Amino acid sequence: MNRRIQGLLAAMTISVCTSVSATGLATCDSGPKSGWQPIEKLEKQLTERGWAVRRVKQDGGCYEVYAIDDKGQRVEAYFHPVTLAPVPTRPR
Amino acid sequence: MAWVRVWPKWQRLLHAGLALTMVAALGTYEGGRLHELAGYAVLALVLLRLALGFGGPMPARFTAFVRAPLVTWDYARALWQRREARHLNHNPLGAWMVVVLLSLGAGAAVTGALYLTDRFWGEAWLIAAHALLAWPLCLLIPLHLAGVIHASRRHRENLVGAMWWHGCKLDESWDSALSCPVGRRDQPSAHE
Repeated sequence: MNRRIQGLLAAMTISVCTSVSATGLATCDSGPKSGWQPIEKLEKQLTERGWAVRRVKQDGGCYEVYAIDDKGQRVEAYFHPVTLAPVPTRPR
Repeated sequence: MAWVRVWPKWQRLLHAGLALTMVAALGTYEGGRLHELAGYAVLALVLLRLALGFGGPMPARFTAFVRAPLVTWDYARALWQRREARHLNHNPLGAWMVVVLLSLGAGAAVTGALYLTDRFWGEAWLIAAHALLAWPLCLLIPLHLAGVIHASRRHRENLVGAMWWHGCKLDESWDSALSCPVGRRDQPSAHE
């Protein structure tokens, strides 16, 4: 098959698929993990606020929370792991 | 020998719609409103294609062009030996590509739509399934394009023009033209 077409198709695949590394909406300057507050503390704070926490993961040095908030809305929110303060997210 | 309309307008429109919405969904993979809308559109178009593939007019039905695995394997071997037959409808390998693309598209769209429900929001296994079904499309779509270009060159016909524009191909078994707006330069030379 024509090598130019092969090369073009390979380039297309690579360019679409390799920007997968940074998918987060926020990053935190959070220091070593030893200084981080436990996830359970964040969950407790949010539950007291009326949130139903579905999942907490680490993303970009922050805690990323998937929950249904007190108004019944699905939310994806970021929190600083040391201060547990909310972190604003960049628009998608 | 005359031009036969193999792919009617609705099928060509569905194909264009699927191509554009799938690429849009993959391009907005990080999420957001556009990604969700593209995903819903993919789901709607796939369901339409499935309905027409099982209950629509003959050339569009899956039974018309999807071949058994052994037949497909024979075709693949013949292709490797550069002696494969030219098919008027999708060739056996192309047919299975259609099946795989529709399946992955539907799977990704359904898992994505479920993820946006209150019941399944945040479920790690669901979003993992969604990614697992969607990312292979990054390899399969270029492979599909490569297959179309290869078949076009092998059988000296413009398959891209046929699927995106006029839907017609030359066939020996027909005597009358079916008002296919195809010019002289699209006529392939004698079939091998």
